[in-house]
Amino acid sequence: MTNSNNNKHKISIINVTKQFDAETIERGLALKDISFNVESNEFVTIVGRSGCGKTTLLNIIAGFLKPTSGTILKDGDPIRAPGPDRGMVFQHASLFPWLTAIKNIEFGPKNQGIPKEKRIKLANELIKLVRLEGSENKYPRELSGGMRQRVAIARALALDPDILLMDEPFGALDELTRSEMQSELLRIWEARKKTVIFVTHSIFEAIYLSDRIIVLSPHPGQVSKNIKIDIPRPRNRSSQPFLELYEDIHEAIF
Amino acid sequence: MKLSSKRSSRFLGTRVLNVLIRLMTVIILLFFWEFSVRLGWISSFEFPPPSRLMETLIMLITDGFPRGITAWIHVLATVMRILQGYALATVMAIPMGILIGRSKILVRASNPVITFARSVATISLLPLAVAWFGVGEFARVLLITYGCFWIILTNTIDGVQQVDPDYHRAAQMMGTSPSQLFFRVILPASLPRIFSGMKVALGMAFLVIVAVEMIGTIQGLGALIQQSRTFFRSDIAMVGMLFMGIFGYFLSIVLDWLERILLPWSKGLEEVER
Amino acid sequence: MNNNTKNNRNDGNKLLKFSKELLVSWVGVFIVLIIWQAVVSFRIVNPAVFPSPIQVVEAALYRISLPVLLGHISISLQRVVIGFLIGALLGIFIGITSGWYRLLAKIVWTPIDLLRPIPPLAWISLALIWFGLGESSKVFIIFIGAFFPIVTSTYKGMNNIDPDLLRVGQGMGIRGIKLLFKVAFPASLPDIATGIRVGWSLSFGSLVAAEILAAREGLGFLIMFAREVGEINLIVYGIFIIGLLNLLTDFLIRRYIIENQLKWHFGSQSNE
Repeated sequence: MTNSNNNKHKISIINVTKQFDAETIERGLALKDISFNVESNEFVTIVGRSGCGKTTLLNIIAGFLKPTSGTILKDGDPIRAPGPDRGMVFQHASLFPWLTAIKNIEFGPKNQGIPKEKRIKLANELIKLVRLEGSENKYPRELSGGMRQRVAIARALALDPDILLMDEPFGALDELTRSEMQSELLRIWEARKKTVIFVTHSIFEAIYLSDRIIVLSPHPGQVSKNIKIDIPRPRNRSSQPFLELYEDIHEAIF
Repeated sequence: MKLSSKRSSRFLGTRVLNVLIRLMTVIILLFFWEFSVRLGWISSFEFPPPSRLMETLIMLITDGFPRGITAWIHVLATVMRILQGYALATVMAIPMGILIGRSKILVRASNPVITFARSVATISLLPLAVAWFGVGEFARVLLITYGCFWIILTNTIDGVQQVDPDYHRAAQMMGTSPSQLFFRVILPASLPRIFSGMKVALGMAFLVIVAVEMIGTIQGLGALIQQSRTFFRSDIAMVGMLFMGIFGYFLSIVLDWLERILLPWSKGLEEVER
Repeated sequence: MNNNTKNNRNDGNKLLKFSKELLVSWVGVFIVLIIWQAVVSFRIVNPAVFPSPIQVVEAALYRISLPVLLGHISISLQRVVIGFLIGALLGIFIGITSGWYRLLAKIVWTPIDLLRPIPPLAWISLALIWFGLGESSKVFIIFIGAFFPIVTSTYKGMNNIDPDLLRVGQGMGIRGIKLLFKVAFPASLPDIATGIRVGWSLSFGSLVAAEILAAREGLGFLIMFAREVGEINLIVYGIFIIGLLNLLTDFLIRRYIIENQLKWHFGSQSNE
């Protein structure tokens, strides 16, 4: 049953529809006929207004939800359940508050049975990568929003996933921290090349970060645009191509 | 750095000032009370003056009331009963709460029963407990256990049920096995709520013990207050109440301290009333 | 037409879901009742001291007449309502004024903080010495039960008002007492509501305790009396009535407060 075409894409989303129980059928239809592909090591962003179903889509890719119809393939095989091959970063970091930063990062490896020395070394490398040296032994409540997201990214990377899923990870941060984290994310991504599927409602963020943007229109969520971005990085947020793209996408959404 | 040291010393200054004002208020009130009695404005029978209360306090510590039962014995008796009832309730309620909390069906099935059992005023069970077990220690401890049990149970169930679903997802994402999920995520995540239930339950134990000690025993702070009623000793009643107040205050401080030690990572939950 | 049939199927599903949930809720109750009856019927416990549900129902029907029962219930309710109202009114008043006038707070809160940890029932000896064996002593205990939680919550509510709200009011030219009434008081209502719930349950518990220990009428007295004459079935019946009353009154308070007065506060909390 292996379709050699599909093996070329890292992720294939094929006619995915998601229906929830609601007062009416229409209200509960979150996603309708979503189809697109994500290539290896590509940075793809799904953009749309609040309520367009982008988080639902991400949760389906992650394996937390099952599509009502349609398939999602990873490396040609259907996705059945959540797993360490698809690391996820949540909007509110959702670090375990009872563990320190470094223990949060060690959590995944610990449960996979990786021996202590190895996982401590791994965790320390990741702390270095996300530039949080000195904060390893702090509890999440002692960390700022930006720092927590850094730990969240490190935690997601700890099991060396080949795909990183990010659900509006910078949405709860202030503007300045947000810009900083965007640059940081790109730096980390350059250092540890992964396929990234990023969800946001900020068009600017999407254009700044991604290789490709999928625009979702709401009620029900449907792919309205699939745009490849060729501007070389680091991208100037006030450059002509950047702003033209912004106008394009803005129009598509509104 | 200069700025922060200025701030902290100003802070300390206002704190000391506040404590002083409160102390002054208490002292003024006590003086006013003392003089009101001396001047005959209020009766010393109904409002024994602080001087009298001091004497009674000393008497309670040395001679005891009734004869031979000192303040220490009373406090110890009360503490022991609360401790036993509370421990018993905790040991039963937490495992049961965890078991029930894990299953939506069990939660729904047990909800009406638990809600009703919790509405039964623990004190109303006193005549029943006495009818069944007589006026011994067992009945008293049992009542404390009953009062604490349902509170700890409901809070434990809620704690397990209300674990942030994002923690579940994060753990699943990291490929955690079900048993690892339970011991390493669900349990720690429900601890703050469980602890909050234990705080409320202790408060309940404190309320119940007073009633429970008023029947069938002469040892214990509640018994002391009951005895004061029989002998019309308002001074003993007040000293007894003072002991209860101090005891209650002491308990809440111990609990806050325990919370800071056991759950250093949580900000401390607001007391959950139901 | 297709949509309509789809919707109807949706509604049918929901009805099924709802009845399933209802059934599961009451399965627990049935199981408890059955075990209870079985334990007595099979003589695992002595039926003379451990009545079965049937015996309790018998007691309800034959051992006490309805007027007598209603008489006790009304006396108890009167006591608790009066005591609670006094405690609530005084508590809210002191909570609000001390929350508004700092000097008053410094004076008033020291004695309140000192007296607060004392359980309501511990006041009973003093209450009897002060007020004698009449209604006042019972009402006093109930008052104590209501007062402290309510004054504490109200004060806390006043202290936790979002300062921006006050600034908005001041910006509109509202000052002084008007600001207190129009902005501060409504803003602290949610905390006051919490205090009222806690205060009521404490009042109710204090009522029962006070009646068990020092009354000649009322539900607490009823079960004490039942024990003295050896009517265990009646004791259990009384306990049930008290429990039901507690449940009912708390439900009513919650309903009334949350649904009517504070839709604006609790409503916004339940949305994401």
